[in-house]
Amino acid sequence: MSARVCVGAIAGAFGVQGEVRLKSFTADPQAIEDYAPLETEDGARSFEVQITRAIKQGFAARLSNVRSKEDADALKGMRLYAPRDRLPSLPDDEFYHADLIGLAVFDTGGAEIGKVHAVQNHGADDLLELKLPGHSATVLLPFTLAAVPTVDLTAGRIVIDPPEGTLPE
Amino acid sequence: MSRSVWKGPFVDAYVLKKAEASRESGRNEVIKIWSRRSTILPQFVGLTFGVYNGQKHIPVNVSEDMIGQKFGEYAPTRTYYGHAADKKAKRK
Repeated sequence: MSARVCVGAIAGAFGVQGEVRLKSFTADPQAIEDYAPLETEDGARSFEVQITRAIKQGFAARLSNVRSKEDADALKGMRLYAPRDRLPSLPDDEFYHADLIGLAVFDTGGAEIGKVHAVQNHGADDLLELKLPGHSATVLLPFTLAAVPTVDLTAGRIVIDPPEGTLPE
Repeated sequence: MSRSVWKGPFVDAYVLKKAEASRESGRNEVIKIWSRRSTILPQFVGLTFGVYNGQKHIPVNVSEDMIGQKFGEYAPTRTYYGHAADKKAKRK
């Protein structure tokens, strides 16, 4: 489990009064404000965030200690991170994508199969995309109690019981 | 113009056959299909179909609220990963 999650990025300056164009990656875009103060990738700077209005492809926002257009321009392309422990806790059987990605995948016999590469949802159930060593293609597995009986975030592993025909021979 | 009601929903015959065979066998398997145009029928609820997206079979666990839609709607042909951020997944 990573200690920080990327919740947004700065796309450049907005206007001439020190506002920035903020791209939000959160499920509810406006919720990026709730995770402030946000840190830069190296952790050297942190910003309070105040969204001023919605604009095309994001928000116009005012960041603490950013007073001029030049300051805002200097932040262009910077990603903003929030500590993982600032995300609210979830009920049983609900997990953050950030927690699932990277977990080791074991079969019911205890053999390691691969790692969780991504989590997808195309309108039906959530799907775990697994990366198997020695295979270039990834495998999709429904994120159901039957197919994924155990998720152990502290141990960093999940146990899967995939339906027939899911995994390559 | 919408499809005439008297024709009933369109489903490729092989999808019906495979679904019926899977239900009779009672095995926990993904039913691989290439027919993205087939309508999801009530008898498919509870089965898992692997719907081809041109590259691989996307597992689609059929639930009641999917009845009447087409299989292809649940297997997009382009993948956008985006950022994990605070997005959640629910295990059902």
